[in-house]
Amino acid sequence: MDTIHKEVVAFQHVSKVFNNETVALKDFDLSIKEGEFLSFLGPSGCGKSTALRMVAGLGEATKGSVKVFDGSPKEIIKETNDLAFVFQDANLLPWRTVLDNVLLPLELRGGNKKKHKQEAIRVLEMVGLKEYLKSYPRQLSGGMKMRVSIARALAAKPKMLLMDEPFGALDEITRQTLQMELLDIWQKENMTILFVTHNVYEAVFLSTRIAVMSASPGRLSSLIDVKLPFPRRLKVRTEQEFTDYVDIASDRLENGNERKELA
Amino acid sequence: MSMPSVEVTKTRDLLTKTSEKPKSKSFNKFKQVYLGPIIAFTIFIAIWQAVPTILDLKHYILPKPTDVVGAAISDWHLLWPAVQITVVESLVGFLVSAVIGILVSIILASSKILERSIYPYAIVLQTIPVVAVAPIVVIWFGAGYNSIVVISFLIGFFPVISNTLMGLNSVDKNMDDLFLLYNASKWQRMWKLRIPSALPYMMAGLKISCTLSIVGAIVGEYIAGIGGGKGGLGYSITVAAIQVKTSYLFACGIAAAILGIGFYLLVSLFANSMLKSWHESAVKGEK
Repeated sequence: MDTIHKEVVAFQHVSKVFNNETVALKDFDLSIKEGEFLSFLGPSGCGKSTALRMVAGLGEATKGSVKVFDGSPKEIIKETNDLAFVFQDANLLPWRTVLDNVLLPLELRGGNKKKHKQEAIRVLEMVGLKEYLKSYPRQLSGGMKMRVSIARALAAKPKMLLMDEPFGALDEITRQTLQMELLDIWQKENMTILFVTHNVYEAVFLSTRIAVMSASPGRLSSLIDVKLPFPRRLKVRTEQEFTDYVDIASDRLENGNERKELA
Repeated sequence: MSMPSVEVTKTRDLLTKTSEKPKSKSFNKFKQVYLGPIIAFTIFIAIWQAVPTILDLKHYILPKPTDVVGAAISDWHLLWPAVQITVVESLVGFLVSAVIGILVSIILASSKILERSIYPYAIVLQTIPVVAVAPIVVIWFGAGYNSIVVISFLIGFFPVISNTLMGLNSVDKNMDDLFLLYNASKWQRMWKLRIPSALPYMMAGLKISCTLSIVGAIVGEYIAGIGGGKGGLGYSITVAAIQVKTSYLFACGIAAAILGIGFYLLVSLFANSMLKSWHESAVKGEK
């Protein structure tokens, strides 16, 4: 990672006010570089999901601008396959098999069906679900559903993966496995990942950088560079350095939100 | 003396070994599911049989079950063709209301403006009792078959359209976002997202509509007559009522009920096969 990476996402003085006058984001500034694994960490209501959704063009800034790959999010969605989004619940279509769910993004874009199928099988293999091509979502566990959802996001070979608390509903053991798998995929596919979470351990374990946010109004309170080496395995969690980062992140999370209470 | 008793126990052993387990299991299921209704039915029939005898009611006031069965058998040559005619009428009425109901829903749902401007009138139309407008239908479509089908269609149509529309409009927000992110066209969203999402609702609508279409056909026969052809159940009922053939009247009523149940079961079977791979309502039995 010694090359100079170009900027892929730029938030410039972004504010977002919803109809009912809640300020979801206030004067949010952030520049994200290619190849980063950046987590938005914060309590509920801090605007972290709002920020992520803006990158995907799901919702526009009230003030300021969001740029993705030097374009507007809406243009990028329309013209490229560069963005993929993973929702909190797996969000699979229950009437489609695992394979057909993964094929969906390719199908919607049109093109060669045989190639699509090869690609879908490749990504399903990557998440370890090659045996379940013909299963329906209701037959899968929560963790497997999330794997399918990740495979679907990867199917169109995006340059950036946006993940909105994808592991929030999973049990701890499944979550840890998926976190490691995600890191493997991130390194193998050379992607940028933006990841929303309210779990400090998750943020430290996964990220190269953490954007700590605070609530009402939602804003960026600090940035933490996480310099733990890759590949990160389960054992990292018991090392002093990891614990130090967790301490820092927890502190900043608390301070950021105390400041609000004083003001 | 001892020999045969040994043999008896042996054979008993054999019997219990081979057949006891599955038999007791299916018998348990039989006991839980069917035994109660069968006993209730038997008691009901027995009381029905007893009451006219005890109170000495005339058969044209309250016929006994045996009278009803007798009437069904002796007038089978009238009852069976009547049933067939009603089946055809209600089936056509149902199919037309299903096809038109689903098509209209899809057209309305594909445009918010269209839906907002037309759907309120669809609701107003729904509140008009079809019986009240049936004579107009007869004036337009003539006595007999055509009018009967139209009346059956009018009664069966609204449950399909209101359920389907509700289904088409209740797509999960996140799934909608997903299709937005992949730049899906309006028709891709319709075919790949909204219509599949609406299937359970659609099937619920069809289930309601299928029994209503029989009601429609019978009401249609009351009002539109037979138009020169042979009459269906509704016609038989009016004739039997005029002639005070009460036993036959009961037989017609029961035939209509059986028709309704059969029709409903068929549509349910179809609905389950459509939803079998994914929807809760269809997969319950599996677990």
